[in-house]
Amino acid sequence: MQPQARKVTLSTGELTYFVAGEGRPLLYLHPAGGVRWTRVLEGLAGSFALHVPVVPGFDGTIAHGTVKSMRGLASLAGEFIEKVIAGPCDVIGCSFGGYAAAWLAAEYPKLVDHLVLECPAGFRPKGTGERPADAEALRKLLFLHPEKLPPESKPVEHEAANRKMLQHYGYTLGTDEELLARLPSIDKLTLILHGTADRMIPKESVQLLKSRMPRSYLVYVWDAAHSIEVDQPERMLSLVESFLQRSEGFMVNWGTLAVNPG
Amino acid sequence: MKFCFFHLMPYTHLGLESHDWPFPNRYFDPAKASALYRTYVESMIHAESCGFDWVGCNEHHFSPYGMMANCNLIGGALAYPTKRVKIAMIGNLVPLNNPIRIAEEYAMLDCMSGGRLVAGLMRGIPHEYLAYNIPPGESWERQREAVELILKCWTEPEPFGWEGKHYQYRQVSIWPKPLQKPHPPLLISASNADSAKFAAEMRATMGMVLLADLPSGKECIRIYKDAARASGWEPTAENILVGMHTCIAETDAEARRLLTDGLKYFDEVLMGGLQASQRIVLQKTRYFENEESRDRWKSRLDKRRTLTLDEAIERGTVLCGSPETVVRQIKRIHSELGHGVFNFTVKVGTLPDEVIRRGMELFRDRVLPHVRDL
Repeated sequence: MQPQARKVTLSTGELTYFVAGEGRPLLYLHPAGGVRWTRVLEGLAGSFALHVPVVPGFDGTIAHGTVKSMRGLASLAGEFIEKVIAGPCDVIGCSFGGYAAAWLAAEYPKLVDHLVLECPAGFRPKGTGERPADAEALRKLLFLHPEKLPPESKPVEHEAANRKMLQHYGYTLGTDEELLARLPSIDKLTLILHGTADRMIPKESVQLLKSRMPRSYLVYVWDAAHSIEVDQPERMLSLVESFLQRSEGFMVNWGTLAVNPG
Repeated sequence: MKFCFFHLMPYTHLGLESHDWPFPNRYFDPAKASALYRTYVESMIHAESCGFDWVGCNEHHFSPYGMMANCNLIGGALAYPTKRVKIAMIGNLVPLNNPIRIAEEYAMLDCMSGGRLVAGLMRGIPHEYLAYNIPPGESWERQREAVELILKCWTEPEPFGWEGKHYQYRQVSIWPKPLQKPHPPLLISASNADSAKFAAEMRATMGMVLLADLPSGKECIRIYKDAARASGWEPTAENILVGMHTCIAETDAEARRLLTDGLKYFDEVLMGGLQASQRIVLQKTRYFENEESRDRWKSRLDKRRTLTLDEAIERGTVLCGSPETVVRQIKRIHSELGHGVFNFTVKVGTLPDEVIRRGMELFRDRVLPHVRDL
């Protein structure tokens, strides 16, 4: 399913976004490398109306002068939901996007239904998560199975340019104490995902999230590094779809003889 | 040097007649087995007072080779009557079982024993996969995934889910957790290059429970140490367990005569029936990831079958003789391998239990004082 690129004018400037599929609306906030149209996104577009905004300044777009923080980015995402989706929706955020998604759920709870935090940034213990400058070393941190990268993936150098935008949003490697303090107030059903071989976001980060978010589930995806979507797309897709469609019922093994598998 | 009193718990009331695996259980007499279990467990408890540092046992299915379908039950029986010895499960066959259950039962054993569990996480031998209908070609993948999952069960502070290739769980939070922190010491079989590397990656003690020969043992130890260093840690001698059949008697001649009889039952009855099923698994599946490992395993079995007892002693793969002879044998093998844990398989076939008891006392009085400080 080919995503369509569109533009919308928000209060702070023009925003590019991609949309694909039909069904219940689903917002996806991309990681620091920018938008990567993975098999997970392809699969989600088979069941949902998937909306993928490009964070201003990423993938060749223009940064919005007044949006300069993760909280500001959450505000922008909230406005996007109100204007384009026109109502609450499920939200997935990956890494940097997961950080923004957590802020979105804290600041605009009425706009968020289910929340999926895929190896979210923003909660690293001190001294962890340093990014190597070398592109190949970074690639090894991101992917356990780089051979699974979609062939049309953007070059690592383009992703590096995107990562330079992180400073614009006041993104740091440590823990966002303000957001951490607000996690207990997020009452959205939340699925936290972490790759068992993720060396970019330590397991302590997701353990901390799990301990602070009252309605959260933490699931480790085996044989995946930071980019779970690339390393284990089938498993992640199946898990996320089950969570979004069944809510708490995703815990149940429905087997094949379930009376009401939906 | 640490010493492990290892028991296979064989069923010994059969004639010298071999049957294909699975061995028909019409030959099994529960009343006789009941007496055997008691004798075997009492021997293992007695090992503590004979100076052994570990007592060990393992899991096997559908044959008289070993009567421990779940060796954790034996571990439970040892936990309270013993006070000091490590309780070494060598171990649960990880790919055959539910990893969560293994994590739970091992955690129970660790708590019950006051933190004395050595947690063996074994891949098993080929024909065991037929018993539980697990694809042998998936054995390595299952082993790797399950070991990681078990470690998560022991160390994760919050309920978690696991989305793996072979195992999926949505909510895990085991009670109890192990007493030893961060978790009980691991022991993983390392009788070929692949398993030696895996044991090192998992920071586990490497186990060669029945050593094939000294050169191949040396090679596995080298591979293990290299892989450990590549994984950022340095194994000590106590991270290397080497095991073999052991018979200690008053004289060399007596020990050889007794072990010869025991080995006859071991080779012909206990091992004999396994060969056909093992051949099928080895030939028809990818139990071993490469031909080299498969050929090596097969030649190890063939070698074992064709060696005379004298040859096995000479090659350093059996301990047999008077206490003084066994001291020399232990020193020689240790000088070659540099290991820190010696695993004695003491109940070899029909070797009488009273002979084993006497051997344990000879070990305590006349062997251990000379080899403890190796």
